[in-house]
Amino acid sequence: MPAVSLENVTKVYGEETVALDDISVHIPEGEFVVVLGPSGAGKSTLLRVLNGLTAPTEGEVRIGKDPVGGANSAVGMVFQMHYLIESMSAYRNALTGALGRTGYVRSLFSAYATEDKTAALEALDTVGLLSEAQQRAGSMSGGQKQRVGIARALVQNPDLLLADEPVASLDPKAASDVMGYMKSAAKERELTTIASLHQVNLAREFGDRFIGVRDGSVVFDGDRDALTMDAVDDIYYGDGGDEPPEALAENFEDESDEEEIPQ
Amino acid sequence: MSSQNRTIQEALSAIERSQRLKRISWLLGLAVVVALTYGGLQVLNFSLEMLARQQDNFFAAIADFVPPNFVELSLYSKTNEVEGLGGVLQTLTHPGTFAETFTTEAGRNGTILGLSFITIVIGFTGTVLGFPLALVFGILGSERVVPFPFNFVFRGTMSTIRAIPALVWILIYIPLAGITPLSAMLAVATDTIGNLGRLFTDELEEIDEGPIEAISSTGADRPQIISFGMLSQVSTSFVAWTLYILEINTRIAISLGVYGAGGIGQYIDTRIALGAYDRGAAGIAMVIFIVLTVELLSSRIRARLRPGEHEGKGFVDSLRDLGNPKKWLGVGDTTKDSKN
Repeated sequence: MPAVSLENVTKVYGEETVALDDISVHIPEGEFVVVLGPSGAGKSTLLRVLNGLTAPTEGEVRIGKDPVGGANSAVGMVFQMHYLIESMSAYRNALTGALGRTGYVRSLFSAYATEDKTAALEALDTVGLLSEAQQRAGSMSGGQKQRVGIARALVQNPDLLLADEPVASLDPKAASDVMGYMKSAAKERELTTIASLHQVNLAREFGDRFIGVRDGSVVFDGDRDALTMDAVDDIYYGDGGDEPPEALAENFEDESDEEEIPQ
Repeated sequence: MSSQNRTIQEALSAIERSQRLKRISWLLGLAVVVALTYGGLQVLNFSLEMLARQQDNFFAAIADFVPPNFVELSLYSKTNEVEGLGGVLQTLTHPGTFAETFTTEAGRNGTILGLSFITIVIGFTGTVLGFPLALVFGILGSERVVPFPFNFVFRGTMSTIRAIPALVWILIYIPLAGITPLSAMLAVATDTIGNLGRLFTDELEEIDEGPIEAISSTGADRPQIISFGMLSQVSTSFVAWTLYILEINTRIAISLGVYGAGGIGQYIDTRIALGAYDRGAAGIAMVIFIVLTVELLSSRIRARLRPGEHEGKGFVDSLRDLGNPKKWLGVGDTTKDSKN
């Protein structure tokens, strides 16, 4: 039984904007999947369909046995722009992950269950921010904010962790740190993770499996060995399409020069 | 090359034409405003000649206001009949009588300090009592919380309240409490619902979608999404707006006093009506002091609430800043000052 499955999922915006075109994907439990693809390929829509913020036009999305029917605490989400509540501390931001199982009045007075408070601190520990727990989120660095975002998603105790371009607005060092924390958190908790990324080198470093999306269709699905430079070109530019720009090629070569990709 | 020059020439003349047009419409607009103002002055029977004729009378009357006479500043100056500015000095050098001025009926109804206290209480309690309803109406008036067109029920209520000035609200409350400090407070509270609620609604229209999405993706329910995703984004600006309304309400409380609803406003009104202009002037001086103090306090607190400015500064540091005159006036390199 796969942890996540999309069965013939199609999403059409408005009259004819096809964001997802008959996609079928099955992901086993505990796998760290990276979704690659050019801007506007449908990566974000794919993730939004998975966490229930967007309903598919056709097809079925299942997490475990249950079909997804709206936003719920079973899916943790890490956003590109962190979307923390900047006026609150890292700890209280992490605790908002427990809102789904806390009554309104209790949440209003920060009267969370003790195990939720512990869970929040454990999650902050997982992302290396235990000593910064009381710091105001607004005064943290971009990388730290994103790690608090991961902690918030972990507190939900989700079956699936989604990350939509989680490091796109970070510098390379912070981006690598954040991906590292996300990867180790997923490993530690045996958490199925799907992240969309722009940086091919980061994707290769942290992903177990890669799904290439272009024009709403899956054009690649394979492991690190299968993700050759030609395969990446194919995801971004199509068969016999335009030549890739220098930057991308260099980016890819830098990565392979190091030859330290853990297998 | 020549064709390119021609197109540049064409672009230039097009730009100049539109600029000329803009200039002409500005001048036309200005002419209309001047003409309307001139017409308005005719309606009001404005004539320089009349003002010139009256100016001697006016300046003679103004002269009666100086020097201000602070004999009624406190119970101490009043009972010992300390006239003029001496009233201020004697009051300050006898702080032991302060409590009496504020707590006894005679002090609260017959001294400038006591009556100012009433005015400040009207403004403060009116703001505090109006706040919860302003919050409820402000939140429910936002399209983010209550879908269009139902939010207009609350927006409409606030607009109606706002359309009626506090000076009219107090007339409506006469059957309830007469024209008294109590009805003045009710008028201020009602006014607050309309004004502050509207500011809350506007503030809510400007929030980011991101945190709302983030909170809803945690599986939070609707009230939690509103509280955490929306209100947490605006909580500090809500406090800042409330302080701003407190400033305005203090001024309203003063004008309601002139209307007869007690407080320092009424003191000024009765003293001028009795021809005791120098005592009225002391009341006016007190009003300036109250308004400036409330404004200064509220703007200092609002500046502190602004994110970024006082990052990570402790409470003690902020208290120390209160003693820094440059901070109060908002001038100078304050960060350097506090380090030296």
